[in-house]
Amino acid sequence: MATLSTTRVKIAGLAACVPRRIEENIDLPIFASREEAEKTIASTGIERRRVCNDGVTASDLAEKAVVRLLADLGWSAESVDCLFFVSMTRDYLAPQTACILQGRLGLREDCFVMDLPLGCSGWVYGMSVATSMMQTGQFRKGLLICAETNTKNRSPKDRSVRPLFGDAATVTALEYDAAWDKPMNFVFGVDGKGWEAVHMKFGGMRHPTTVEALQEVEVEPGIVRKGTDMVVNGMDVFSFAIRRPPASLKELISACSIDLESVDYLLLHQANKFIDEKIRRSLKLPPEKVPYCIRDFGNVTNASIGLVMVVQLAERLRGGMCHCLACGFGVGLAWASMEFTAGHLVCSELVEY
Amino acid sequence: MDINTFIDNFAGQFDDTDRSVFTAETKFREIDEWSSLIALSIIAMVDEEYDVTLKGEDVKGAETIQDLFNTVQSKKQ
Repeated sequence: MATLSTTRVKIAGLAACVPRRIEENIDLPIFASREEAEKTIASTGIERRRVCNDGVTASDLAEKAVVRLLADLGWSAESVDCLFFVSMTRDYLAPQTACILQGRLGLREDCFVMDLPLGCSGWVYGMSVATSMMQTGQFRKGLLICAETNTKNRSPKDRSVRPLFGDAATVTALEYDAAWDKPMNFVFGVDGKGWEAVHMKFGGMRHPTTVEALQEVEVEPGIVRKGTDMVVNGMDVFSFAIRRPPASLKELISACSIDLESVDYLLLHQANKFIDEKIRRSLKLPPEKVPYCIRDFGNVTNASIGLVMVVQLAERLRGGMCHCLACGFGVGLAWASMEFTAGHLVCSELVEY
Repeated sequence: MDINTFIDNFAGQFDDTDRSVFTAETKFREIDEWSSLIALSIIAMVDEEYDVTLKGEDVKGAETIQDLFNTVQSKKQ
């Protein structure tokens, strides 16, 4: 089992930006009936989602969140040593969006910047990469952006995805602190044989975009999409998500001898309520230890763990220390779990775009 | 594994369809109430009750409750 521990890097602040536009699931024209809409809402726990206007990208949402967080932290753009942009909805195939953001945010030219094209496991993977690079103290201040415009690469005529996914960006500010004695502990997992459960077939090098790939096709009633749209095979994702994340968390708990009683919060990737509640129950955690923001924001993929902290735990994180577990899981198939402690954070009010 | 218990568990995932509708030979996709959400409930039920992880193709490949029972049984071994 591969585990990773990083030390001397703490979370200094958190911010999130979501589009102002709200889409209500109950009103969606893609359901066969109002009853079907109600059943879907009851089972997923998702009532509404934030949706970007045309022309707004993940980096636009991210920029707003970063500007706000730097101001609230009192950090100058020049003080940032490294920036990680976790996203599967980058601005261009080339260059990486992190480069563009360096210019737009006015970060130093010797700043280390990097895109990490990860989905729902992205915050946890991103934290492992960022804190690993920062723990020697050569990079003292870092920004981990998790930003996704899921409504842009999914079909609005696909009822298996549209009611689930929303858009959001989060930024986690990280700081080297030689006196910080609370390690972050990670375990990882990947099942590349299961990659087709969530994928976009066309638009990469394996299947370049063709005219045919841009034609809408009715895959089954209620599911109309283009070859360039994200395919989410619900049943395969579900059977993955009820098995791997609980096992991963149990692996972390055992490897790091974590006393579950001492855990204040389990921060789950907000997939849907049905899945997340199964994970919560399999760890026998009470509901108050597993916060949700899924009702009003839906599944915002890699931004979900940051968003639930900003929306539900801001007061708590501004105050005393919280001992947390987090688990991200999805496209890849990839998953990762982590243990961390955070507190006395600068947690910005939710920013709207 | 007992087929009658399996049928009870299977039927338990439906809200509006009477238990008497379900037999081993029931073609479950022909039940009016069948939906993708119920398919997920079945996967969850099989995970909880039988400790077996069904994939999408396992559910799609089964026509009757007996077919699905056979799949669960073979995966359990």
